[in-house]
Amino acid sequence: MKDNTLKYLLVMPAVLVVFATAIWPLIESLRLSFTVGRLNRPGSLDQYLGWENYSWAMLYEPAFWNSVQVTAIYTVVTVGLTTLLALGLAMLLVPGGRLRSGVQTLLILPFAMSPALIGVSFRFMFNPEFGLFDAFFGVLIPPLADVSWLANPTLAFSVCVMADVWGWIPFLTLVLIGGLASIPRDTIEAAQVDGAGGWRVFRDVTLPQLLPVLAVVIILKSIFSLKTFDQIYMLTNGGPGTATQTLSHYIYFNGMKYGQIGYASSVAWLMVIPMIFLTYAYAKFVFRKR
Amino acid sequence: MTGKQKKKLMNAIQVTLILIAIFIMLVPILWIFLAAFKNHIDVFQLKLLFTPTLENFKSVFAPPYYLGRKLVNSTIVALVTVLIAIPAATTAAYAFSRFRMVGETAMLVTVLATQFVPAVVIILPFFVMFRDLGLLDTRLGLIIVNLAIVMPFAIWMIKGFIDGIPIDTEEAAMVDGSSRVQVIRNIVLPMAAPGLLTAGIFCFIISWNEFLFALILTNRDSVTLPIGLALFKAEEGDLWNLLSAAGIIIMVPMFILALIIRNYFVQGMTMGAVR
Repeated sequence: MKDNTLKYLLVMPAVLVVFATAIWPLIESLRLSFTVGRLNRPGSLDQYLGWENYSWAMLYEPAFWNSVQVTAIYTVVTVGLTTLLALGLAMLLVPGGRLRSGVQTLLILPFAMSPALIGVSFRFMFNPEFGLFDAFFGVLIPPLADVSWLANPTLAFSVCVMADVWGWIPFLTLVLIGGLASIPRDTIEAAQVDGAGGWRVFRDVTLPQLLPVLAVVIILKSIFSLKTFDQIYMLTNGGPGTATQTLSHYIYFNGMKYGQIGYASSVAWLMVIPMIFLTYAYAKFVFRKR
Repeated sequence: MTGKQKKKLMNAIQVTLILIAIFIMLVPILWIFLAAFKNHIDVFQLKLLFTPTLENFKSVFAPPYYLGRKLVNSTIVALVTVLIAIPAATTAAYAFSRFRMVGETAMLVTVLATQFVPAVVIILPFFVMFRDLGLLDTRLGLIIVNLAIVMPFAIWMIKGFIDGIPIDTEEAAMVDGSSRVQVIRNIVLPMAAPGLLTAGIFCFIISWNEFLFALILTNRDSVTLPIGLALFKAEEGDLWNLLSAAGIIIMVPMFILALIIRNYFVQGMTMGAVR
């Protein structure tokens, strides 16, 4: 067989799968977002409604804007905290040696853990009566001893953030270690010979060279933070009230619990918009090297 | 303080910080391990010393929880997803790596982009379709939607590995009269084997841990392990000892798989974007 025919045969199965499982549902959910789309009303999935779902979400649904706000704050806080802490840990681990490479191996474990299980585990750790982290915080900050973490909106949000940061630090750390390790040693040594202190070396030599990796890490983590669902569902299920209801959770609730597939699809598409920008930014980095 | 003393002090501070970090990273996992072996009274206390019991592991597999069925579902769904995804991704990755095609960049960007589409967006139409086709609460339905998240990963990851294989051997074999298919079977596949294993394990872990699709599509017959966790939220509160035992069954196999491919782990996740 000629290579010219063969190459298209080789890509065909995978491309078909991607189209059927990802592209088709994307287009179909866009169509649904313009319909009445009630699960319990036959025919409503084809009943054209125009932009009404979108305008309903944006003009009349405080709960939608609440979930936008929760997701936005959640994303900014988790991306910021995870990146900073991971950078710190990566700086500590990059010199190598037995202890440090052993720690690097252990870091893989939280990352292989199911996010739903991370949610369960943090609910356990912050139980007011027998949670270990609750006990720690009680000793460190006495007013927080024995509080019902998940019953207080601010504290529940903080627990969700901590669970997220805990789950993502390992991956970001490992990526940043890779980035740090690829910085030529001699540029750092040259700066040290010139008398630059630790902080100056980091700011003027290490950080600028790490910037591309850091940018990719921040984009990737933003994408994952925006989508957050699993841990939230297991930890707080969006509560108390709607204090921790992320966009994914809001869409899930409207689509699956209330059966408003059309409305849920329109919110889902509103969520796709920031994703497009982030994916574009990410793709630019990936294709930069080709 | 002399320079040497200062260096020693700095190192001590660093080691302390590393130990604190690793303590925080491991303590939630260790706590699950402890709780899984505590009885239903000890689990409601902070104590470290207790008489360990295997009772919880017996309970989770017994009625009314039947965790064994969820274990079977999770294994079959993840395994079949991988067995479909890896061969298809491998041939595609080879073509993307070795040939120039019409619309190649468009296809690669599309594949990359679909990976970031939120799961909630694509599950809504699938729910409607599966309801009409009678595929709700079936393993087949789960396998189909899992392919959506696994496939783009697999293509990019395997392409990264094949890009790293030198093209010379292939060309030499072609000159000696081997066909392209023979080259792929006899040269490329053996050399890419570690990469395929890595991608396979990676996709297996992703499917195994997948939550949202299974939450929406299953309710009785094809419930997977992560959804099974919700069983242990009883009216009288969470059954932490059973939750922990189930947690161990979910996470330990994935720990083992992840450690097998630890050297490729990060590389795989970022698909060569960060290097």
